[in-house]
Amino acid sequence: MSSQFDQKDSHRPPRMGRAMLTLMLCVTLYSSALQAAPPENTVELVDLEGQTHTPLRNAKAKATILFFLLPDCPISNAYAPEIKRIAAQYAEQEIASFIVYVSPDLSVEDAKKHATDYGYEIPVLRDLSFELVRETEVTIAPEVAVVSAEGKCLYRGRIDNLYAALGKRRFKATQHDLRNALDAILQGVPVPQETTKAIGCYIPKPKTDARLLTR
Amino acid sequence: MLSFRCQLVFVAVILTWWSHTPSTFADVNFTKEIAPIIFENCATCHRPGEAAPFPLLTYADVQERGDLIADVVKQRLMPPWKAEPADYPFLYERRLSKDQIELITNWVDQGMPEGNAADLPALPEFASGWTLGEPDLVVSMKQPYRVPADGPDIYRNFTIPLDLTEEHFIAAIAFRPSARSVVHHSLFFFDATGRGRELEAEDDEPGFKGGMGAMMKLRGSPVPPQAFDDPETAPKRSPLGKRATPGAPAFGALGGWALGAQPHLLPNGLAYRVPAGSDLILATHFHPSGKAEEETSTVGIYFAKKPSNRRFMPIQLPPAFGAFKGIDIPPGEKEYVIEDTFVLPVDVEAFGVGAHAHYLGKSMTLTATLPDGTRRTILSIPDWDFAWQEQYRFAEFAKLPKGTRLHSRITYDNSKDNPRNPSDPPARVHFGEESTDEMGSISLMTLAADESELPLLQSAYRTHFRSALLKSPLSKLFQGRLEAE
Repeated sequence: MSSQFDQKDSHRPPRMGRAMLTLMLCVTLYSSALQAAPPENTVELVDLEGQTHTPLRNAKAKATILFFLLPDCPISNAYAPEIKRIAAQYAEQEIASFIVYVSPDLSVEDAKKHATDYGYEIPVLRDLSFELVRETEVTIAPEVAVVSAEGKCLYRGRIDNLYAALGKRRFKATQHDLRNALDAILQGVPVPQETTKAIGCYIPKPKTDARLLTR
Repeated sequence: MLSFRCQLVFVAVILTWWSHTPSTFADVNFTKEIAPIIFENCATCHRPGEAAPFPLLTYADVQERGDLIADVVKQRLMPPWKAEPADYPFLYERRLSKDQIELITNWVDQGMPEGNAADLPALPEFASGWTLGEPDLVVSMKQPYRVPADGPDIYRNFTIPLDLTEEHFIAAIAFRPSARSVVHHSLFFFDATGRGRELEAEDDEPGFKGGMGAMMKLRGSPVPPQAFDDPETAPKRSPLGKRATPGAPAFGALGGWALGAQPHLLPNGLAYRVPAGSDLILATHFHPSGKAEEETSTVGIYFAKKPSNRRFMPIQLPPAFGAFKGIDIPPGEKEYVIEDTFVLPVDVEAFGVGAHAHYLGKSMTLTATLPDGTRRTILSIPDWDFAWQEQYRFAEFAKLPKGTRLHSRITYDNSKDNPRNPSDPPARVHFGEESTDEMGSISLMTLAADESELPLLQSAYRTHFRSALLKSPLSKLFQGRLEAE
């Protein structure tokens, strides 16, 4: 029933008109040509307390976890306790964590309220123009990216397998992909699976795209 | 090398294919085609103050979630409605047609154009507060129940005294959770036995634990349920000290509420008969939301204007939630089946149907073979989900003539491939009330078409119940007692 979600390949087939598809293809080819050089990825964002961070170039940590969340996605919210446990546990081993809200028009007040409601004590960023989303290529909330101090993406995907598909929640998670990746990074061995398929809500497309497409 | 003409034909064919394939529903716009579907089927819950996570009231709301909406409607996860269309249509069915689903997915494929603003229909008028009007009686949980931030789902039952000094007839119950993000569904029961109050003392938390297993305790299973006027098991006194109505059951179901459902009066002037001194029991399913919450449910009760003289007869197949079936599901088993059959001794009118199993439940079917050999499907849930325990009601009475053979079939998947399997690796599972145990049955809510024939129906079902018990592996334990009767 949920074959689409069971596929390992996380690239969903584009669902657009053919003309749009062609256009997008050109844009993609063009932009990937531009990105052939190593990305600069010094994305600079200010957290809810006013502190500036460059999470993709975080020299203060062995690696940095970015938790991409949508405040009104129930699957994203259900992970709050596990996110807090992971952030606290790995902070002791010099791994930094950021909450990254990917809702395009989330105000500072709403972000603060959500972070307080769910008890997040790690720095909270709002990726309003989807810079971190683009650089890490995440598509789902909740999804995580683990980046090295040099900005290399070491792991991207789900936190664990609590959700087998939309509407199919396991009794409890049986595979802890993010923890496994972090443990491997700390031990200096290759991450067992560098990308996994996250289950949750799609990260919205920037509003400008929508206006472009409105007939 | 192809001739020029050939090439031309080839190009024409390609162009025709190109322009036709994706255009079953060409040029779908939000305002004209999509908004009516969303407003009608999604916005009831997807609006501020309701249970669903985000509003779907404007173009921007829907456009932002377009991909997700396309996925969940295609997979029929939303709107939540697990039953397939069957031969007796359901009331208040929340199910999109194939055409509606195709419209939505095509609209998303086409980039979600907004369309002409003038075409946008008005939002429906959503009733706020009590949708059935001011209730006759409003009661709340005595204490808030704390739902933790995470962990497995919780099944908890709350006893609420109604302080009724005489028999009442309930036509509808409206349920209002206080913490909407954690309350998934609640099933309602009346309990004039006082046992619910006793169970409240089991632990320090408000309410008492358990799902249907706890209900079985209240009902006094595995002896025949009191719903069948068995003088031996009917309570002599209600908790308020009033004598229970002779012949009236002291424990029974009163319907339920699930996310997305609106309260409705029972059809045809029917009403649940509730004895004096009954407590209301809310059997509530919570799912932790990531944030600790406190729930204090409020319930509005609507009494029938006049007593209903028609008594309900739930036909549960297999009886006692499958307690006598010797359920024993080996680890790895992908298709474990239990079945039960009951022949109606009188003409019956059914007004609703519901199913129950735990996490291993895979599919549910209830069929009726009429005396002329016609086979009808009453309930078919091909992909059972423990989380959506809907109480389905028929649009009109399902009229089942005398001699109709009811057949229930429930399957279980105890393999690793069932993501809901509570055990990893899969473990052997037996009948039991814990959610890691299994049970299973389908209940048809019926009336004797001719009220005077109700005793025949009751007695036939009681016989069926006893024979199920005698055939069960447990029967040796009960043999002596049954023979003594």
